Amino acid sequence: MSSKSLTAEYLKGLWDENPVFRQLLGMCPVLAVTNAVINGIAMGLAASFVLILSSVVVASIKKLIPAQVRIASYIVVIATFVTIADRVMAAYFPPISKALGPYVPLIVVNCIILGRQEAFSSRNSVGRALIDALGMSTGFILALLILSSIREVLGAGTFLGYQVMGPWFKPWIIMILPAGAFITLGILLGIALAIEQRTRRGRA
Amino acid sequence: MSLSARMIFVLTMVGLISGSLLSVVGLLTTERIELNRLREIEAAITVVIPGTVTSVKLYEEEKFTVYAGQDGEGMALGYAVYASGTGFQDIIKLMFGTDPAIQRLNSLTILEQKETPGLGAKITDALAFLRFWEKKDLSRPLTLRKPAAGSPEELATSEINTITGATISSEKVLQMVNLSLERLRVIKQEGKLGKEE
Repeated sequence: MSSKSLTAEYLKGLWDENPVFRQLLGMCPVLAVTNAVINGIAMGLAASFVLILSSVVVASIKKLIPAQVRIASYIVVIATFVTIADRVMAAYFPPISKALGPYVPLIVVNCIILGRQEAFSSRNSVGRALIDALGMSTGFILALLILSSIREVLGAGTFLGYQVMGPWFKPWIIMILPAGAFITLGILLGIALAIEQRTRRGRA
Repeated sequence: MSLSARMIFVLTMVGLISGSLLSVVGLLTTERIELNRLREIEAAITVVIPGTVTSVKLYEEEKFTVYAGQDGEGMALGYAVYASGTGFQDIIKLMFGTDPAIQRLNSLTILEQKETPGLGAKITDALAFLRFWEKKDLSRPLTLRKPAAGSPEELATSEINTITGATISSEKVLQMVNLSLERLRVIKQEGKLGKEE
């Protein structure tokens, strides 16, 4: 059971335990769908929907589930919410659903979600699990937003589809290709580590 | 309750509740998803048969559907063929339009694909692939130009460009179009295109 204040429980997802920059979880969607800001936001929202609802459900039924079948039960709960997200997106937001392709169904295997159930929701109260899921979701969306903004601006000269670079700008096509995702993520992880080391030295 | 019985009970309950929830979601969304699909097909027909105001489904079999595009007065403008087949990684669904005599290909559009992003996925890209499919001569089977040409003008009238690094995806699309054209001619000859005959 966590003993942090609720505010600290929320804030840890933004930086100290940020799923992408600090825990390196959920790398597959982070690399795959961040070629455009709209895709990054849509993936972030879909994963957050699944994470928040799964965390609440798992925290509410944790005492009923025998330890031996807990992972199987969590996966069924997660898969249910993923399927709901997938169908709702296909019905109401078909262009985004198409752009995200197989990555929405793949939220089932996103380590952030199963990881939070195993590490947090199954050991804490419903309220605390909800705050934790909200924090982790915000951290995940922020990471996707940063990555996709850099990639879309440099790779296409646009932000959310709007031209932001002048006619002098020649798009760096590599940034919207897979290689650009790895380069951007690598640089951002380096920056995150440098900041972390500096703050740790400051504390010492 | 013994541990095994509890495990079976919990998993069954979790499965049952999830299943029921999903069937409700399925019921609520299926109709809309189907409607989106039909709208997308209609939009694609107007792209591959320019000037189309209304469209009629003429013939349907597995992985192959023929539509007729008509102008405001009901005059036939050509055929739109919706076909699906295996690409490099997964199913590719495409549509192309021809004139009523099946002598000219207007254009091609890709409706669904899961090819390699950045390579095979370029089959949806107008600049890299689709513009090389415009106004092609269908008096003989279409062939692939390899290595790729730089502009549509460099290609022969029945030649299609390859995407560098994604030859298989380009070939699969070409095969699907050629096979569909053959099939279209056969069913036209057999008089199965109903209204147009």
